[in-house]
Amino acid sequence: MRKSSAVTKIAVQADSPKLNYKEKDRGSTAMAGEEAAGQNKGFKLLGILDVQRTPCAREAILHGAGGSVAAGMLYFLATSRVRRSFDVGFAGFMLTTLGSWFYCRINNAKLRVQQRVIQEGMRNKVVYEGTVLDPTNKPNAEAPPGPP
Amino acid sequence: MAHPSQLGFQDAASPVMEELLHFHDHTLMIVFLISTLVLYIIVAMVTTKLTNKFILDSQEIEIIWTLLPAMILILIALPSLRILYLMDEINDPHLTIKAMGHQWYWSYEYTDYEDLGFDSYMVPTQDLNPGQFRLLETDHRMVIPVDSPIRVLVSADDVLHSWAVPSLGIKMDAVPGRLNQTAFITSRPGVFYGQCSEICGANHSFMPIVVEAVPLEHFENWSSLMLEDA
Repeated sequence: MRKSSAVTKIAVQADSPKLNYKEKDRGSTAMAGEEAAGQNKGFKLLGILDVQRTPCAREAILHGAGGSVAAGMLYFLATSRVRRSFDVGFAGFMLTTLGSWFYCRINNAKLRVQQRVIQEGMRNKVVYEGTVLDPTNKPNAEAPPGPP
Repeated sequence: MAHPSQLGFQDAASPVMEELLHFHDHTLMIVFLISTLVLYIIVAMVTTKLTNKFILDSQEIEIIWTLLPAMILILIALPSLRILYLMDEINDPHLTIKAMGHQWYWSYEYTDYEDLGFDSYMVPTQDLNPGQFRLLETDHRMVIPVDSPIRVLVSADDVLHSWAVPSLGIKMDAVPGRLNQTAFITSRPGVFYGQCSEICGANHSFMPIVVEAVPLEHFENWSSLMLEDA
């Protein structure tokens, strides 16, 4: 119960006919999640790492597997030591996976920053178009002076 | 909202939640590699024929298993602290909404320009329309403009509650007699669901939160509509 009478209670109907915004029957989040879940169950390594839905994970694991096989095989061909070759192969897996992962994530982060800058620029273009703040305006002699 | 048998996070609807997802992926990869290393060491220890009953210490391995965890912790801590301080930033909100927790519903007040307030009760299961979500739908939603910084002041009228919306990366305790502040920006329009996250009595599970992000024009129509009705 509201104690203050100053605040007006308004019966707001989300599906009011006057409200022109049409919502989907299911939220965009649910729709995206359900479609993704239906089409792609995901594959979790060790039950924890979803390599299909996590950006860069699949590439990192594949590079790691390739590096592991390459390192192990090369060491075995050079020394013929089976057990130590497995150790070297595993070390190669760890290093290659880590290296590929961080390289991909750094590039991914740079792309996301660029994406945000572009989105902000597009938003500002719409807002500032035709004004003195429009960055695409070319100054000419007939243009009136800007605000002081 | 979460889909059935979901284990991971919901899709992000705010920049902070996107950062949290990326941090989670980063940390999970580190955890995965550590787990793989431990599994490999266990298999190697079990299958080795080498034994040394008189080993006392080994400087090399001790240096490795001291420095390596320290480096891993630094790799985890730095992004974590960055996001921690990022979440505390509040950049000139366009709108302030008060969310009050009651037993067992939420009430929202938009008092920036005019007095507007309403209660938000869960829609009972028997009253749901086809396509609506059980235990998540409310009769009145918290409508906000998309792409605008929103400040939410959370408090409670009676007992402890917690205002949480997972897809926005928000959880804030509602404490009687205290105002807690949080802020967020929704990156995309949509309907985002949450539930009370602090035990508050018999119907703690039945006081959901629904945030509806709409374009500014629709938000203005909605608020004009309500003010006219007032």
